[in-house]
Amino acid sequence: MTTSPQDGALLTVEKVHTYYGSIEALKGITIEVHEGEIVTLIGANGAGKSTMLRSINGLNHPRRGSIVFRGKDITREPPHDVVRLGISQSPEGRKLFPRMSVLENLEMGAFQRRDRSELRSDLERVYALFPRLSERKQQRAGTLSGGEQQMVAIGRALMAHPKLLLLDEPSMGLAPIFVERVFETIVEINQQGTTILLVEQNAMMALDVASRGYVLETGTVALADDAKALLRNEQVRKTYLGETD
Amino acid sequence: MAALFGTRRPSGTSLLGLFFVLLLIIWLIVNLVKTPNDFFTVLLIGITTGSVYALIALGYTLVYGILQLINFAHGDVFALSGLFSSTIILSVLGLDENTSALGIIGGLALALVIIVAFGAVVNTTIEFVAYRRLRQAPRLAVLITAVGMSFIVQNVSLAVFDVNFRSLPPLIPESNVFKIGSVTYQWNQLFAVLATIPVLLLLSWLVRSTKQGKGMRAVSQEPDAAAIMGVNVNRTISFTFALAGALAGVGGLLYLIEFNIRYDTGFELGLIAFTAAVLGGIGNLSGAVLGALIIGLIQAFNEGLSWAAPGSDWTRSIVFGLLIGILVFRPEGLLGERTPEGA
Ligand SMILES: Nc1ncnc2c1ncn2[C@@H]1O[C@H](COP(=O)(O)OP(=O)(O)OP(=O)(O)O)[C@@H](O)[C@H]1O
Ligand SMILES: [Mg+2]
Repeated sequence: MTTSPQDGALLTVEKVHTYYGSIEALKGITIEVHEGEIVTLIGANGAGKSTMLRSINGLNHPRRGSIVFRGKDITREPPHDVVRLGISQSPEGRKLFPRMSVLENLEMGAFQRRDRSELRSDLERVYALFPRLSERKQQRAGTLSGGEQQMVAIGRALMAHPKLLLLDEPSMGLAPIFVERVFETIVEINQQGTTILLVEQNAMMALDVASRGYVLETGTVALADDAKALLRNEQVRKTYLGETD
Repeated sequence: MAALFGTRRPSGTSLLGLFFVLLLIIWLIVNLVKTPNDFFTVLLIGITTGSVYALIALGYTLVYGILQLINFAHGDVFALSGLFSSTIILSVLGLDENTSALGIIGGLALALVIIVAFGAVVNTTIEFVAYRRLRQAPRLAVLITAVGMSFIVQNVSLAVFDVNFRSLPPLIPESNVFKIGSVTYQWNQLFAVLATIPVLLLLSWLVRSTKQGKGMRAVSQEPDAAAIMGVNVNRTISFTFALAGALAGVGGLLYLIEFNIRYDTGFELGLIAFTAAVLGGIGNLSGAVLGALIIGLIQAFNEGLSWAAPGSDWTRSIVFGLLIGILVFRPEGLLGERTPEGA
């Protein structure tokens, strides 16, 4: 077991530069997530929010900079090892396995785990969070409604029993009532002891549940502050909360 | 969308298709009535060749399922494995028709194990050397590499095993398993079917019920998601190529028992097996087996029936005509699904 550095950060991303071919999508980003927090990343389309998550989960390694999780350098760790260390994700666009059942999808979330008994209790926890899923265990994921698919995506990530949960636009494409429900669930998961890094288009709701937030702009951090402060920030209100003065 | 297809399709093309199927059935019935003995003999031959085709077709479908790549080198790995089996059986193990029954069974079993490992290693190596680096490359680049790999493997076969056909002495007695009227079924034919069935069962268990198999399905459906769930994508792809290669190895050995093989046998057989995979629905395991049996039967009926059969000169035209027909009218194949990417 490794110890966290003295500042108590669960995840430290430092001056990370990530590329797609020759396109520099992240231009030296530094963020921190502390144990027990909900931290949100907001920003316009193409700002680099998803790329930040892909850098953390190992799908797209940074060329420069470092990512440290619980005291361990994971900058070059392959994705299948990152999840074992305790980071799981509900990816942008859900990315379910469409021809597997709901149950099989959830089991995929626990692919690396061997602790059978705890696995069972995690499955119960997912069903308790999303009772709808227990009614649809055997249905093919590809035939679920958008909202149900989102539940599977979040539930699947929870099945890894992560220390840090990455959520990429969990409210995308959902009806307002479902959006409410998803944010309630995020808070609930957090209260059960999971730290969350939340990427959202819906800045208002995200800042509402988060303790801190980062505003990304074309691959850099434009603002970093407490969520409440960001909610009051005039720049943020104009650009992301759709207010005009 | 689905409803649109549903209402539009039956009109033109599928009526035509139905018409052909009807003609085919009439043709089969007439032959059955005229020469029942021939009909059943040919049926058995068709099932036998079909099951060997199935082993090869599965390799195409497995690899396509996981990488959306048509591995043109697959047929050549099959031929190379067949040639290598002849060396193992004749030169290394020294089996011939005078070896005792027990010796032959033990020897063939040993040869099977060796050739399974051989096919797996060759195929995994091909993936590692040629395809892995091209994961992010455009489809066309990978496709051309696959064609190139096919030539390379073929030329290796030519260089190592020269241009001559290899065949085995009748190790498995060509005596009859049964004889009803004048319909006969020989042991060496049954052997191919008997060896294929457990292989198919094992494969379907592997893919359906093991962790490796689940990882394979996950990678084929959503590779990035599979990776962040903890599936080692590279290892899963290697494993898939190993499975496909092992099947090609088994196919090569079984083919060698019945027919003869040389360096370029894999080219045509590969295309036939590929057609079978497409006919059944590429990426679909049961589809590959079904497609292979259908093509085995078409070939056997065409070459073995007497009434109004085009004959062996036409086999290729018929099989590849079928391939074009499927690609035009039902690209998702018999058991495949219409996917957004167009299967
Ligand atoms: N596969 C890719 N190839 C090339 N460029 C990419 C790729 N994926 C993302 N980019 C580019 O990287 C930049 C950041 O993209 P990213 O997906 O991280 O944005 P985002 O903040 O998540 O946007 P959104 O809110 O629309 O999801 C964009 O300019 C995008 O065009
Ligand atoms: Mg995004």
